Amino acid sequence: MAKKAFRDFLHDLDGAGEIQRVAKPVDPRDLSGLAAQTDKAVLFDEIEGYPGWRVATALLSSRRRLAIVLGCAEDRIAQEFEARSARAIAPEPVGNAPCQEVVMEGDDVDLTALPFPLMHVYDGGPYISGTFVVSRDAEYGRNAGSYRLMYRNRRETGIDLVSPSDMRFYYQRMLDRGEPLPIAVAVGVHPFEMLAASYKAPIANDELELAGGLHGTAVPMVKCRTVDLEVPADSEIVLEGEILPIGWTADEGPFGEFSQISGDVKWNPVFRVNCITHRRDPIFYLLQMPWENDWLSAPVTEAAGLQALRVASVEPVAIRAPVGSCGYWTLIASIRKRPGEGKNALLALLSVAEVKLAIVTDDDIDINNPDDIDWALTFRVQADQDLITLAGARGKHVDPSIRAWEMGQGGLPLTAKLGIDATIPEGIPKWLYKRIEAYGKDRVRLEDYL
Amino acid sequence: MSGLADTIEATLVREPLQFAELVDRHRAVAWRDFLHAWGEVREKDILKRDDIGRYYIPGGAAEAVAAETRAI
Repeated sequence: MAKKAFRDFLHDLDGAGEIQRVAKPVDPRDLSGLAAQTDKAVLFDEIEGYPGWRVATALLSSRRRLAIVLGCAEDRIAQEFEARSARAIAPEPVGNAPCQEVVMEGDDVDLTALPFPLMHVYDGGPYISGTFVVSRDAEYGRNAGSYRLMYRNRRETGIDLVSPSDMRFYYQRMLDRGEPLPIAVAVGVHPFEMLAASYKAPIANDELELAGGLHGTAVPMVKCRTVDLEVPADSEIVLEGEILPIGWTADEGPFGEFSQISGDVKWNPVFRVNCITHRRDPIFYLLQMPWENDWLSAPVTEAAGLQALRVASVEPVAIRAPVGSCGYWTLIASIRKRPGEGKNALLALLSVAEVKLAIVTDDDIDINNPDDIDWALTFRVQADQDLITLAGARGKHVDPSIRAWEMGQGGLPLTAKLGIDATIPEGIPKWLYKRIEAYGKDRVRLEDYL
Repeated sequence: MSGLADTIEATLVREPLQFAELVDRHRAVAWRDFLHAWGEVREKDILKRDDIGRYYIPGGAAEAVAAETRAI
């Protein structure tokens, strides 16, 4: 089976009627503003000042398009992601790669050759938002993640490393030795690579093996030209270079965050680009905030929640990371409950990444129906018995309520967590929750009387 | 420094601006030319940020306006 590339996914979306094609020339400054006016993914065929380039955006801004990636029903995304991610398939090296058809090195390196736009009103500069960043540590091995890049000049960008991550850890280890961290940034990779990059895998795991598992076939990898790293060969664009050993000293941001908030100025390292390669007919991927990032987060958070519940020996029935909390901060799960498992499930769900609100219901509640959840919260919860709060857990800067600005440069914030057990409390008979039903509704049919 | 970079620098000495406001003032310039000029100003390492993310350059009226913003 051939591994799908970024542009294969565009083809799939087009076939499903999910892409809005824009044929007229567009000023790159207006890409985000135009894309924000449609619910569809957008492919811009002509960019003013950038002959031969196209721009694709908002590819994953809905649950439906996420289901298309995974080839499943919309309510089976977490389960499908979990099943695919259970198998690791090692990437395979290749010699020639489409992503290296055009090469810029030395004085020819100029980031403005890429048609990245100004995305949001309060952004500190134009951003390259849809990145797949590969790094390597001598002891821990290869890592891939996604980190935004803010344009600084032809050769440099800011890189957001404020949050805890494996690459931040790698960078800190190099910084302690006063050395730069070599990285390679692929732009325009298949969504499975982006999902793998979003996944909070244990540090020993290779995200490229996870991506292979999601694809069901190996990801072809080509050696970079100037750094000892490999990138997906079918990428659209690759930036090779190093994160300078300057620590968290350069202003970066604000950026329209996946929290749907404009954010504030942060202090971050600088990425120096030494080589740019791309396809002959490149498509720049503009990851449209916040929804595209949120929908990328949701299946990863949901799958982590399912795993945590199983480790806790709780049987999950359904799980959801609502997009209102960015597919990241809230998990709602229904379970087949045995005594005490409402609380056990909460402890498990609150252990997932930076999830700060967890709600657990019984399996008679449709967690995709907000009214059903409200009903469970109203009639199955006593605030003095069914809430769990935890203080001092790992937080994320983009949440204003944790007052990250009170910390020093490069500091890591803490957060409190809340769990709500909305299962039927032990000792209350289930029959008290029997829902009302209209007498005779299965015997008579309204249309017979119209 | 290009003429456009000089213009950007003079503007940010006079008043603090969000990056988008700066872009709005130079819509007639090709995007790449604007980005090159912005890069030139960046490389001089003279840019400061106020509490609401605006850029300014110390030494002129912009500095006082930015400081007032901090006081708010």
